[in-house]
Amino acid sequence: MLRANAITKRFGRTLALDAVDFEALPGEIHALVGENGAGKTTLMNVMAGSLAADRGEAVLDGRPLQAGSPRAALAAGIAAVHQSPMLFERMTWEENLALGGFDTGAGALDLEAVATRARSLAAKLGFEMPPAAATVENRSVAERVRLEVLRALSFDPRVLILDEPTSVLAPSELTAFLDLLRSLRGEGRIVVLITHKLAEAIAVADRITVLRRGRVVARTTPAQTTEEQLAGLMIGEIVPQPAASATPPQSGDPVLQIENLTLDDHTGRRILDRLSFRVAAGEVVGIAGVDGNGQTELVELLAGARHPGSGKITVLDGSSGSAMAVIPQNRDLDGLILDMRLWENLILARPLRERVTSHGWLNTSHAIELCGELIERFRIRAPGPETIAGALSGGNRQRLEVARAIASQPRVIVAHNICRGLDLAATAEVHRTILDFSAGGGAVILISSDLDELLAICGRLLIISRGKIREMNPGERDPQRLGLLMAGARD
Amino acid sequence: MLSSIAKPFAALALAAALISIVLAALGASPLGVFAALGEGAFGNWYACVDTIVKSTPLVFTGLAVSLAFSGALWNIGADGQLTIGAIAAGAIGPHLANFGHAIAIAIILAAGALGGAVWGGVAGWLRARRDVNEVISTIMLNFVAVQALSWVVHGPLMEPSRAYPTSSPIAPAARLEFYFAPSRINLGMLLAVVLAAACYLLLFNTGAGFELRAMGRNRRAATFFGIRIPALTFWVMALSGALAGLGGAVQVSAISHRLYEKLSPGWGFEAIAVALVARLNPLGIIPAAILFGALDNGSQAMQRTQGISPELVQVIQGLVILIILAFDTPAWSGLREQIFGASHDAAAVPPVAEMPDA
Repeated sequence: MLRANAITKRFGRTLALDAVDFEALPGEIHALVGENGAGKTTLMNVMAGSLAADRGEAVLDGRPLQAGSPRAALAAGIAAVHQSPMLFERMTWEENLALGGFDTGAGALDLEAVATRARSLAAKLGFEMPPAAATVENRSVAERVRLEVLRALSFDPRVLILDEPTSVLAPSELTAFLDLLRSLRGEGRIVVLITHKLAEAIAVADRITVLRRGRVVARTTPAQTTEEQLAGLMIGEIVPQPAASATPPQSGDPVLQIENLTLDDHTGRRILDRLSFRVAAGEVVGIAGVDGNGQTELVELLAGARHPGSGKITVLDGSSGSAMAVIPQNRDLDGLILDMRLWENLILARPLRERVTSHGWLNTSHAIELCGELIERFRIRAPGPETIAGALSGGNRQRLEVARAIASQPRVIVAHNICRGLDLAATAEVHRTILDFSAGGGAVILISSDLDELLAICGRLLIISRGKIREMNPGERDPQRLGLLMAGARD
Repeated sequence: MLSSIAKPFAALALAAALISIVLAALGASPLGVFAALGEGAFGNWYACVDTIVKSTPLVFTGLAVSLAFSGALWNIGADGQLTIGAIAAGAIGPHLANFGHAIAIAIILAAGALGGAVWGGVAGWLRARRDVNEVISTIMLNFVAVQALSWVVHGPLMEPSRAYPTSSPIAPAARLEFYFAPSRINLGMLLAVVLAAACYLLLFNTGAGFELRAMGRNRRAATFFGIRIPALTFWVMALSGALAGLGGAVQVSAISHRLYEKLSPGWGFEAIAVALVARLNPLGIIPAAILFGALDNGSQAMQRTQGISPELVQVIQGLVILIILAFDTPAWSGLREQIFGASHDAAAVPPVAEMPDA
């Protein structure tokens, strides 16, 4: 039995955990749900030894775990999968896994053996491994999470703690993943699943613990509760309305035209294959797809960070390329510079940088003032513009990114997986902001692997699979069929 | 807890204690040696001037390194860039007799800057266009520069009598004068200070400087937001090289007046330590360079009066720098902020705890 006894943890003035008790039994899937900042991840880090609690202790089978030692936790049989993948970007996936339990540790490093063991475990789980010797930096987010899950499982742990593992999985992968959790439970292991996807928690968990602002507010079982009830417990007030209904398609003049966009990678593999579509003013166009089907490259092309092999991106209406604001999917790696200040992150966006620069000189106080206004307007929880971006929580980092995109007054916003890892309230808020922008005549391309999100707010839906794009008819909104198409099915 | 003021002094005391042990073990008198060090570095007007003269090339190369490092471009080639700058200055210097003093100085300094810019620019171009790691290219270009200097003073630029492996002296018009002779004080240090201020303004008060720092902190994000990495890489390396080359030209114009082999005792490498001690802050480069210059100058006096071997002098220098870096804690940053105003270096700010949403 895994127990956390009266764990208290404070970060500066913030009380992250306030005397939290938690327990999970062998042969149980225990869902830990809560909003961003509720303390779920902190609790996981304490139990997995990555953080030492200020007070209280974690106990496994009656034996207290050494505080603040991941090594001791691992030796005791607790493995954790972190929300932001902790992988070595420049190393191959085999090397990354060799740091787990696949390597026998006796004598020379045998990457072949590691790969073989990993492949057989992955086959059992229904994963496919990347090509041999591929480095992690070029893999999609979903593939990274799979690698982390594999690495955790390679230790053959008695306790597996997973922090939001499903947010990056495709619908087709989700069922297999939940089955995997069930089979781990069947082997008598303890599975702790941190999530804010309440449907998932209800579907797979035996028990559910709800955290709010560092306190346990409910312990329940799926049979005794509903999604609405859980959402109410998590937020502690009225559940935010899901963002207003989807925008109608084609409500304005075309703003963005993409013609025959084609891109090959350096090995000659086709990444994007003759993409063509248009986006009209006031429209939210969704691009659905499983990660790794060319979305990242499409965003890079739209951002101008990369040049297409052939094809054209035209912003109509006479404006130039700066008419586009991009919110890349990986906010910590691509979207923000975590060790720079908030106002510096703000002026990363060229239009904003130009606004506070005259004849090459940067008007710092103007930038700080602008940042202060946006912090207020978008309710970013930060002490002020001089705060380092890395000190913000995930939700506030995303608010900053959205604020930056809107403030640069673009004709088109390209947003890639912007609600990944955000809780209900934050997601609804981001969606509302995006919809407000489109209601004001802006065009939005929302690229996501989350069908629910796309169906909720997109007027038109495109599906990207293996670098090809196809447009869905307005009526075609059956999630199951869309899921199949995303997974590459042809009809 | 030591107060933020006491801590740096504790570091120096520790350095002194460690060095005293080394000195005592070798049979020297620690007190005498330290007295000689201080006396040699700052003991009188001439010692102070000499310390400044010795620090001047380090300010130029330190600025070169800190500018490139701010963009995460690891320019290890300041020594080569300085050398090429010196060659350009030494080559053009003898032909400036017919120009006025100010014009001749402008030409010789411009030649040095241009030479260094070409040398840095090559590494920048290789990185930007061919993705050649600048650490490798700048190290290789150092070798080429050192041998090029050796070749020109034995070959095309060798003085007419061909007795010594040096170049002809530069025209008097192209020499930075000494003031208050016999002191060697000259305008080089003033130029270095002006450039340090200019580099500071460039880094923290211009759009281009912001782009450079953004590139240094997160290249991927910089790419996504339309910062033109290849162009920036080239220009920063060229500018970095120009600063180092200018240092070479000042050395030729003010001090050496001619070229000879091993002109640089390794200013470009020492510059890396200077830049890191200054935390890449251009204004911090000046005191950091003076610290190194003072150690260098003082240790020569130590050698003369206390009979300490030159090798031990280097040991002492190394220990002092190491201990300063080891104690480079937020306390140092606090002191630095009192001296230079609020730090722009985010890494120097103690981390703030994560704040929860909503």
